[in-house]
Amino acid sequence: MRQYETGFVLSPALSEEETTQFIQQMAEIVAQKKGRLVKQDIWGKRRLAFPIKRFQEGVYVFFTYDGGGDVSTELERRFKQSDAVIRFMTVLKDPRDLGRRKNRKKRAEEAAQAAAPAPAEAPAPAEVKEEK
Amino acid sequence: MPRDDRPERSERSERGGYRKYFAPKRKFCRFCQRDIRGIDYKAVEILKKYIPDRGKITPRRITGTCAFHQRKLALAVKRARLMALLPYVED
Repeated sequence: MRQYETGFVLSPALSEEETTQFIQQMAEIVAQKKGRLVKQDIWGKRRLAFPIKRFQEGVYVFFTYDGGGDVSTELERRFKQSDAVIRFMTVLKDPRDLGRRKNRKKRAEEAAQAAAPAPAEAPAPAEVKEEK
Repeated sequence: MPRDDRPERSERSERGGYRKYFAPKRKFCRFCQRDIRGIDYKAVEILKKYIPDRGKITPRRITGTCAFHQRKLALAVKRARLMALLPYVED
């Protein structure tokens, strides 16, 4: 199982009903393909940095889900078929982005602990550093 | 003649230009400082700081970002551009 994030931009020409309906449909597809929708982020209408298909703004939606590769392929196939989606992108979430941070914190704690019981040795190197 | 020039040159390189008067400000990686691992392409406000006026990615010799985070940053900016969150060009 891997975690993916699919973001897509919907056309501003759609009515609010159509927009919510489309998003719901896509959420159902994730469920159909046995993916687990972790997070659904709807930014709403936002100005585009440059015009796409002559639209100046778009509705941003982001899905974060666990699942196989077939979930994203199916989603993207749907996106290509429909005229509502003007831009989409799927990104593989890197588990390391969260993993190593803990290690660093641990290391910092260990360093703090190592520094605490030996106060006699600590001040001398600190002074040298300041001189430099 | 070239032998006479040599000592002068070495003196120049030791204290050349503005360095005589201003100690260069120490740059540091702002992502390392906050202990951030991954950079998300959706965090537009952070990315915007690294693409001034023209919309280009600022080189790390100017911002002081470390190599690891510069790579992540560049990727994030490029992804954000594809999603029309950031401009490719701006004038």
